[in-house]
Amino acid sequence: MSELTTISVTVNGEPREGRVEPRRSLADFLRQDMGLTGTHVGCEHGVCGACTVLVNGRSVRSCLLFAVQVNQQDVLTVEGLSPDGVTLHPLQQAFHEHHALQCGFCTPGMLLTSLELLRDNPAPTEAEVRLGLAGNLCMCTGYVNIVRAVLAAADGHAASASTAAGSETAESPPGALPRFPTGKEIA
Amino acid sequence: MSATSHATTLGTNWVGQPLPRKEDGPLLTGRDRFLDDIGLLGMAHVAILRSPYAHARILRVDASAAAALPSVLAVLTGEEVVRVSRPQRGRIPLPVSPQVYALAHDKVVYVGQPVAAVAAIDRATAEDALDLIEVEYEPLPAVVTPEGAMAPDAPILFEEVGSNILWHDTFPYGDVDGAFERADRVVRERVTIHRYLSTPLETFGSIAQFDASTQTMTIWGSAHQPGQEINNVAAALGLSPGQVRMIVPPMGGGFGNKTRPIYHILIALLARKLAGRPVKWVEDRRESLLALCHAADGIMEMEAAIQDDGTILGLKFRNIENEGAGIDFAGRHNLLMLSNIVNCYRVPAVSYEGYSVVTNCCPVIANRGIGKPFMCLAVERMVDAVARETGLDRVEVRQRNFIQPDQFPYDTPSGQTYDSGDYPEMLRKALALLDYDQLLVDQEAARAAGRLVGIGIACGVEPAGSNLSYGMLISGPSQLLSGQGEAARVRMEPDGSATVYTGGIESGQGHSTALSQIVADELGLRPDQIRIVATFDSHSHPYTQTSGNYSNKFNGHDTAAAIGAAGKVREKLLARAARMLEVAAEDLELAAGRITVRGAPDRSLPIAQVAARAYWSLNDEAPDDEPGLEALHYYRNPRTRAPDAQRRLPVQMGFSAAAHVALVEIDPETFEIEVRRYGVVHDCGREINPMIVEGQVHGATVHGIAAALLEEFVYDDDGQLLTTSFMDYLKPSSADVPMIETDHLETLSPWTPLGTKGIGEGGAIVAPAAIASAVEDALKPLGITVSGLPITPTRLWRLASQGGKRYPI
Ligand code: FES
Ligand code: FES
Repeated sequence: MSELTTISVTVNGEPREGRVEPRRSLADFLRQDMGLTGTHVGCEHGVCGACTVLVNGRSVRSCLLFAVQVNQQDVLTVEGLSPDGVTLHPLQQAFHEHHALQCGFCTPGMLLTSLELLRDNPAPTEAEVRLGLAGNLCMCTGYVNIVRAVLAAADGHAASASTAAGSETAESPPGALPRFPTGKEIA
Repeated sequence: MSATSHATTLGTNWVGQPLPRKEDGPLLTGRDRFLDDIGLLGMAHVAILRSPYAHARILRVDASAAAALPSVLAVLTGEEVVRVSRPQRGRIPLPVSPQVYALAHDKVVYVGQPVAAVAAIDRATAEDALDLIEVEYEPLPAVVTPEGAMAPDAPILFEEVGSNILWHDTFPYGDVDGAFERADRVVRERVTIHRYLSTPLETFGSIAQFDASTQTMTIWGSAHQPGQEINNVAAALGLSPGQVRMIVPPMGGGFGNKTRPIYHILIALLARKLAGRPVKWVEDRRESLLALCHAADGIMEMEAAIQDDGTILGLKFRNIENEGAGIDFAGRHNLLMLSNIVNCYRVPAVSYEGYSVVTNCCPVIANRGIGKPFMCLAVERMVDAVARETGLDRVEVRQRNFIQPDQFPYDTPSGQTYDSGDYPEMLRKALALLDYDQLLVDQEAARAAGRLVGIGIACGVEPAGSNLSYGMLISGPSQLLSGQGEAARVRMEPDGSATVYTGGIESGQGHSTALSQIVADELGLRPDQIRIVATFDSHSHPYTQTSGNYSNKFNGHDTAAAIGAAGKVREKLLARAARMLEVAAEDLELAAGRITVRGAPDRSLPIAQVAARAYWSLNDEAPDDEPGLEALHYYRNPRTRAPDAQRRLPVQMGFSAAAHVALVEIDPETFEIEVRRYGVVHDCGREINPMIVEGQVHGATVHGIAAALLEEFVYDDDGQLLTTSFMDYLKPSSADVPMIETDHLETLSPWTPLGTKGIGEGGAIVAPAAIASAVEDALKPLGITVSGLPITPTRLWRLASQGGKRYPI
C-alpha cells in the first residue's frame, strides 16, 4: 500500500472529497469510496464501456482513469440522471418503454454514452447511433431496442425542444438539448 | 394444433400484453444491487493464483511469504483443500470419475486452473500477495484438440480414468441400416464448431460467511441452479444442505455460464478458515475468459440416406466433443443433442455416436442452447448439402422433409415428443419477411456485377425444459437425479396484494414481469399488485434440486409452479368469500380486485376485505381450516421419464421453433463479411409478454451471429489461450450487426397451462446455421462450401487465394 492522496471531485453536482491510493481507479473510487455502485465494471481493460461516466461532460471509461486524475473535475454517473432514484430522465424513460435493457448491467454506460451522443448530435440517424454506441458492449439485447430507444429519445427531445423553444435559456445554442445536463447542472 | 384450441380458465387479461418491465427501475437508475455491489463489514477480498501451464505436475507450493504479508488474512493451497474438503463429481456421474477439488494439488490440467488463493483486507493486497507464492511445476506435454487427445500416444489428463475418453456410446434409433439400404444415395458431411461463450457482462462471483457456532455457511453467489450449488457446497464441506444458505442476487447476464461450484467451494473454505469474516471474490474478465467455462468445440461426421427427390430417410452422426479439462458437464452437450437430432424434419431413423473427450482446455459448461447450436448447424448444413447433391432448391428440400402441422404431437426417433408447430408456414413467413423473391432478383444482379451476396436460410427447433433423467443414458437407472420441475409460493397479503417466491433465478429475462402478469390473471389483480421477490434466498424461497434458471425451463416449468401456487391461493380466497357471501364458491367470479356472485353484480366483496379477515379474524376459521392465504406448489413435469428399453427418452419437453433468413455481403478482396439484413420468424406458443419475447429473440440471434463470425477462443499447441481480453475475443458491437427483423406464429403447446413454450435460446441455436448458409451462398461464384465455424475474413482469404473449395481449410 502506498501513500494516500486527497482529491476533491464534484460528483453528480455535489462536492466530494476522497483519500485514495494513486493506483485506485476512478471506477473503484466511485463504487467503493463514494458508494455509487451504479457504475459497473465489465472488463477493466477499456473495451466494454460498462464503466462509462461523464467527466466535464465527456464520456470516459472510469476503469482506465485513476481517481487522482479527476481531482477538481466534474463527474456525472448514472445516479445523477435520477437523483431521487424514482423520477426517470427522458433517456431512461425511453430505455424503459423500448425494452432497451435485459440484465441491465450495460445500461448505466449505455445511458451516459447516449447522453453525450444526443447532446452532440440531437437528431442522429440509425447508423450514427450504432456508431456512437459501438464502444459499449451489451451481451443481452442484440442492440436492437437500445438503438430504437436512443432514436426515440432524440425524437422526443427534438419535439419538446421545438415546442418549448421560447423557454430555453439564453445560452442554449439553437437546436441544443437543454435538458441533457452535466453533473453540476443537475445539482 | 390450431392457434385457438387451447382454452385457458384464466381471465387472461394481462398475459399476452407487452407491458414494460417492472425490473427496470433500479437498473435504469443505478440503484440495483449486483453481487459486486454487496459490501459487508470486515469483508476480506480474495485473489486466485492460476496455473500458467496447460499441463504440469505441481512439485512444490510455498505460500509462507504471502501468508506473512501484513494485511493478508488467509492463504489456501491445494494440499490443504484436499485435507479439509471432499472432491467434486460431475453432474452426470461417470463410470470412472476423476477427483476434482477446488484447487489443483498434484497437477494442473488447464491454463488458469486455480492453484492457490489469498484472502486479504482488500483485493489489491491479495493480488500483491499472489506474487509471493512460489510454485514449482514440471511441465508435461499438453493436448488441445479432441482428436489429438484420442491418439494412442496422447498425454493423459486424468490418470485414474486411464484414457482421455471420458465416455463413448452409440444410440441407434429406428431402422437405420434399412434406411441406408433403401437410399438412392448417401450424402456425407463433416462439420466443425469452435469454442465460444456468451460472456455475461457481469462476471462470476461469490461471497461467503461462516457462522462457526451453528456451522452455517451463507453464500451470496452467481448461480443458475441454487439447489445443485447448495448440494455441491454442502457435500464438499461435509455439511447438511440445511447448513448452507444460498442467496443469488440479480445477475448481470448468465446464459448458463455461471455454473461453477468449485469457486463457491473455494470461497466457502476461506470463509470457514476466517470464521465469521465475510469473504468476497469477483472474477476479472481475464480470469473469466481463461477459466470460467467455454462452450464445447466439436467435430461432427454425418451421413444422410436420401431419395433422389430430396427425402431424407435416415441420418448417422458421429460427434467428438471437447469437454476441456472439466468433468462438471461431461457428456451433457452430447446427450442434449438428442433433443434436436432431427431438427424440424420427418426423419424416421437416426443413429448417434458420441465421444466426450478431455483436453488441456478450459472446462466446458452450459452456454445458451448447450450443444443444440451445433446439432442445428450440422443438420442444416446437411440439408443444404442434400440440396446441392440433388440439384434441388434448398427451400424445397426443407419443405419436403418438414414435419407437417397435422402430425403434432410428433414423436421423433430419439424419444422427443414435439408439442406443436407449423414449420412450412414458419419458413414461408420468414422468406416473405425479407421478400425472398426480390432478394433473389437483387442477388442475381449483384453477382453479375461481381459482388458476393448470399442469402442464408436455416430452420431449427428450440427445445425447452429438460428431463434430467437423460443422465441415465450414461450413469444408468440408479441415478438419483430425474425429471424436472420448479417450486413456487404465493402469499396474498392482508391488503389484497400478492407476493411470489420461486426457485427460479433472474438474470435479465424479465421473469418478474412475466410472473406478475400470470399471477395477476390468476388472482384477479393487476400486475403492479404482484410483488416478485427476485433475489433467491434458500431461507425464504422454495426450491427443488432441479430449480433455477437454465434449460430454457421458465415457460414450461416456472409458470406452471406459479400458476399452481396462485391457484391454491385463489381457492382459499374463494372458499372464504363464499362463506362471507353465503354462496357456493363455484358461483363466484374473481376479477378487477373484487369477488362477485355470478349474475348478481351487487353482491360482491373487495379482495382486500376477504384477505384481511384471513389474517386478522382467526375466529372465522372452521376447525380444519388454516388462517392466511398462502400456498406452496411443487410442480414436476408429468411427462418426464427414464430411458426405455430402446434407450429413448424425452431429453427436453417443449419445442419452439424458428426460421431465420440472412442477407450477407462479402468483400471480394478482403473477404470482410457484412450482415446486411436478418429476419426471424419464431413460434414459442403463447407469448406472455410479446415485448420481452422479441427482446430475447434479438439478443439470442445476435449472439448466434457473433458466434459464427467473430467470437472464438484460440489455443496454441501448448494449451495457452491467446484470446484473454475483449480485444482479442471479439464481441459484436452495435456497429457490427443490423436490426433484427421479426415476426411470429403462435401454435400453442397442449402441455403447458398457458400454451407457452421456451424462448431465449432459439436465436443462438439457429443463427450460426443461417450465417453458414448465407456465407456459402455468397461464395457460390467461387465454388466454396462452408463446413465449419467461425468464418473469418483471414481464413476465407487464405482459402480463396489457395483456390480451396471447402471452408475451413
Ligand atoms: S469496465 Fe471499463 S471499459 Fe469495461
Ligand atoms: S442488458 Fe445485459 S448487458 Fe446489456
